[in-house]
Amino acid sequence: MSTVRLESITKHYGQTVAVDELSLDVADGEFVTLLGPSGCGKTTTLRMVAGLVEPTDGRIFFDDQDVTDIPPRKRNIGFVFQTPALFPHLSVADNIGFGLSVKGSSKSAIAERVEVMLAMVGMPGYGRRLPAQLSGGQQQRVALARVLATDPRVLLFDEPLSALDKNLRDTLKYSILELQRRTGKTAIYVTHDQSEAFAISDRIVVMNAGRIEQIGTQTDIYLHPRTPYVAEFIGANNGLPGTVSGHVGEGDDARVLVEAGGHALRARGRDGFAAGDAVVAYIRPEDIQILDGEGGAHFENVLEGTIDRVIFEGPTAQLRVHVGGRELRVDVSGNQRLTLMQRDGRIRLGFDDITLIAAPG
Amino acid sequence: MTASTASSGPSAVRAPAPRSMVGRRRLTSRRMVDIVSHGYIWLCLFVFVTPFLALLVYSFTGPGGTYAIENFQYVLGSFGENLWWSLRISGLSIAIDLAIALPAAYAIVRYPVPGKRLIFSVLSLPLYVPGAVIGLSLVITYNFTYHLTTSMWGLVFAMVVGTFPLMLTPIIVALKDLPIAFEEAAECLGAGRWTTFWRIVFPLIGPGVSAGLMLAFIIVFNEYLVTLFVHPSEITTAPLRIFNLVRTAGLLPTTAALAVTMQLISLASVLLFFRVFGTRYFKGTYLI
Repeated sequence: MSTVRLESITKHYGQTVAVDELSLDVADGEFVTLLGPSGCGKTTTLRMVAGLVEPTDGRIFFDDQDVTDIPPRKRNIGFVFQTPALFPHLSVADNIGFGLSVKGSSKSAIAERVEVMLAMVGMPGYGRRLPAQLSGGQQQRVALARVLATDPRVLLFDEPLSALDKNLRDTLKYSILELQRRTGKTAIYVTHDQSEAFAISDRIVVMNAGRIEQIGTQTDIYLHPRTPYVAEFIGANNGLPGTVSGHVGEGDDARVLVEAGGHALRARGRDGFAAGDAVVAYIRPEDIQILDGEGGAHFENVLEGTIDRVIFEGPTAQLRVHVGGRELRVDVSGNQRLTLMQRDGRIRLGFDDITLIAAPG
Repeated sequence: MTASTASSGPSAVRAPAPRSMVGRRRLTSRRMVDIVSHGYIWLCLFVFVTPFLALLVYSFTGPGGTYAIENFQYVLGSFGENLWWSLRISGLSIAIDLAIALPAAYAIVRYPVPGKRLIFSVLSLPLYVPGAVIGLSLVITYNFTYHLTTSMWGLVFAMVVGTFPLMLTPIIVALKDLPIAFEEAAECLGAGRWTTFWRIVFPLIGPGVSAGLMLAFIIVFNEYLVTLFVHPSEITTAPLRIFNLVRTAGLLPTTAALAVTMQLISLASVLLFFRVFGTRYFKGTYLI
């Protein structure tokens, strides 16, 4: 229960810069996710907040207390690792009680707290088992209980679900969110999984090469990517390189006219594009509609192409379409995906100008 | 299916289902392999254990070829002092070994010590150097510098030098296998280095520690050559006593009884250490 403030923290490993002058404010009780590919510095950042890694430069504050030089054991944090890291020689109860026991709590107080924690993570009666007798998901729940038992100021998660299978990940991510909401603790969560980040975060920090690309809510990042990197990283985006040919509209209705591979497209874009500028127009696979016959007049953008490949994935089908020498990915759901197989090679695609985003090329 | 047939050898022969000729032949060749492999194990046991059995039988030989338990009363009486010295020297040596090896191994594995490979190689030197060379080196060192030749501590120190790598190596191996996440988790939960080491690290490297203790104990307890060089005149360890007796009085049944007793103590230490330290942490942990 405290705010976390990072002031231009930097970490060098020899010549490599892992984290580069990163600044971030996390509000009290907020759930912030650091999202990025492996090697982008998100884990290093988290470990610096924990104190497990010493920053080369910059300061870290919990509330207004400068904790940069305080060792992890005195920061009162809860760190959940990629592996549950339960002490294998201690019972579940002793694992959960470990933090309190090193702080000198009485045995009865510890036992009481352990029961509360076990109930909280939905595992009452498991206290006497050894970690090896639990499943992976149960182990990670105990790891959660173990960090919550000490009533930490900040919860830190380092890809806690990456070692689990998909179904378990889906249920456990909501358990984590629910526990964080119930305890009202400030949380920083590291992941490379977009759907995980989108499902549980108040705000998402997209990181790349040791720097922050964009901070924002899910919709901010999804609909208003501020850099080409974010536009390409969030969603499996199709990029259509082209040049600006003009503008129409004002304010929210402002559109950029883009000439891309022989097609005239209308896209959303920030102001400041001049005619002739190189841009990339991004369209998400799920935003593209397949048009039947001559329909689709209500779409601002219509492309024609040939189907290259159909990949049936169950709930959705993935389509690879050749459009003017470029391959587009189209995700199809609903009944349409079942009739795809009968179509011949030619196909027409339509999408609204609100879904096409122009970014500097 | 095939695996279960193989493991349940004899019962498979009595299986009620009729088997084809091919099945029978395969079963027979499998039984042949079974018999040969069992035979081989028994042969090994016979070859390696016979000398000890001969010693055991001889240790019960009384005057004129009779049976005598008196030989072992000698062990507790006249030889008791020698055994006691051996045990004391061993106990002190492994205690000092452990006290040095634990922090040393932790530093070598967990901290960026410059030239740690070289340090480790140098520390392992006593493993490759013949006992006589170690003994001679120590006599020279003691005489010219510490004047330890006349004290028990000189002998203990010699044993520590000789067995330190045996203690260090298994602890280093165990620590390298221990993921650092356990220590980091403990630290984040508020535990200091000392608490983390004794409550988390030490129990988890238990198998390595026990292996080191056992190896060092057995070597020190049975060490004869280095002892011969550096022992003070008032201290005669059991192996030294055996050697002296065989040299001066020939092979007596009483000496054999002392040798058997030493063997039993060594064997007991192996069993004890595996029981107390080894299996406890092998089970139910990631160490399997």
